[in-house]
Amino acid sequence: MDARTQEFVEYVQSGGQVEATDWMPDEYRARLIKFIEMHANSELMGVLPERDWILRAPTLQRKLALTAKIQDEVGHAQLIYRVVEDLGKPRQACLDDLVSGRSKFHNVFHYPTRTWGDVGVIAWLVDAAAIISQKALLRCSYAPYARIMKKICWEESFHILHGRDVVLALVTGTQEQFELVQEALNRWWEPLMHFHGTPIPADEDPMLFWRIKSQANEDARQQFLDGYVPQIRELGLEIPDPALRKDEETGRWLYTEPDWERLRAVITGHGPASAERLAFRRLSREDVAWVERVILAEAA
Amino acid sequence: MSARTDLLLSIADDELILGWRDSEWTGIAPFLEEDVALSSIAQNEIGHARALYELAAAELGTSADELAFDRRPAQYRCAPLVQLRRLEWARTIARRWLYETADEIRLEELKGSDDGELAGIAAKMNREEAYHRLHAEMWVDRLLASEEGRRRFFEAVDELWPYALGVLDEGLRSELRRRVEERLGRELPAAEAIERGRHEPELVELWDEMTMVRRSAPAGARW
Repeated sequence: MDARTQEFVEYVQSGGQVEATDWMPDEYRARLIKFIEMHANSELMGVLPERDWILRAPTLQRKLALTAKIQDEVGHAQLIYRVVEDLGKPRQACLDDLVSGRSKFHNVFHYPTRTWGDVGVIAWLVDAAAIISQKALLRCSYAPYARIMKKICWEESFHILHGRDVVLALVTGTQEQFELVQEALNRWWEPLMHFHGTPIPADEDPMLFWRIKSQANEDARQQFLDGYVPQIRELGLEIPDPALRKDEETGRWLYTEPDWERLRAVITGHGPASAERLAFRRLSREDVAWVERVILAEAA
Repeated sequence: MSARTDLLLSIADDELILGWRDSEWTGIAPFLEEDVALSSIAQNEIGHARALYELAAAELGTSADELAFDRRPAQYRCAPLVQLRRLEWARTIARRWLYETADEIRLEELKGSDDGELAGIAAKMNREEAYHRLHAEMWVDRLLASEEGRRRFFEAVDELWPYALGVLDEGLRSELRRRVEERLGRELPAAEAIERGRHEPELVELWDEMTMVRRSAPAGARW
């Protein structure tokens, strides 16, 4: 490592923040682009599983709330792609790489949504898992990314309230409505346990080395379990892992080891809804390609 | 049912179903910025529908949600223009623009109504519709600025024109024609209006989908 890079590493590791116009090592820039692009892709692809339910929301209030929530996610994608653009990769290139499967998006968005119960569980628990990662990104060494995370975390915290409200209405409703939530929780538990990634030791994680992330994967998962397992159980729901319990001595949660091979398969595009989602995104992009052509021709 | 409630339900159903159709673009619009814009428009339209349903519900002794979801498809009074399933982009813009142009004429009339409640709600709606009109007009400008955009847009307007006429009562249609022709600088074909009261198969399909979750629990269940 050359002296300038060494100095940069010491700077970010001691809490220093980097602006878009500052010098940065190529590896740092490349890792930022890959990580932030995946975040933007996830916001955009995350629209699709919930989007199906916009047409099916069962009251006017739920319809408005769900549309607004999904609109927020698109807004996040827009903000985050702009950060990627400043780092040197245009939005079009990001979208090209997304639909061709060259870049990735988060594991939870590779799964189908089966019932209105999924809508509640996603908005409550998937967004809860997401906000833990995103809150940790408030301390990211790349300042423009850390700054937009403030707005994103603020909005995500509303999504959690919306999701919890949907879930509460269902668990206090009819037996069938309660079952919608329990079945959705059964389906989403493994993806939620996968959400924060493999328990890679902090000193081997390059994202922590560059202080792009500042929280180890397992710490994020522990924080999620600590915050939400009691809430889930309080509602009378059963978490589908008989081994799940808190070790009172260490304060750590113990759980059945998730299938990490499955996580790897899912995020490399082999999840239950990966192909369908990408095909849908590709087709909807082709349908409107002429709009861009016409607008760009006019601008030229 | 009073003529007033009938009118309230007609406008509310237009706004509800158009809002539902606009929300079909959430997540897949041509630009992320448009995605956000159409989601906002959809929320506004549905908010208007809710306010109008609440007025009607007070008279009918029901609730806005029951009016929005619990009638049979044949009981909806919306114009066929808004019933059509998500259209390709030029038709989406043509529908938005034609609807907003017609709606402006309708709201101008309502704002002058002796019925204070109705006039008030029309004025409030018009404040938000003004932004929808700006959005639609911006897209009309954009499409008219190129050969291909113009061709696609005119084709869409011609196709939807008989539907647009059906949004308004007969007495207001000549004003709609005048405004549309003036803006586009071309004459529109003579056309019979596709009248309110007709129910396209696409409305029935939409109704099936928009009520499927709600119908899955006994009436009165909380969601």
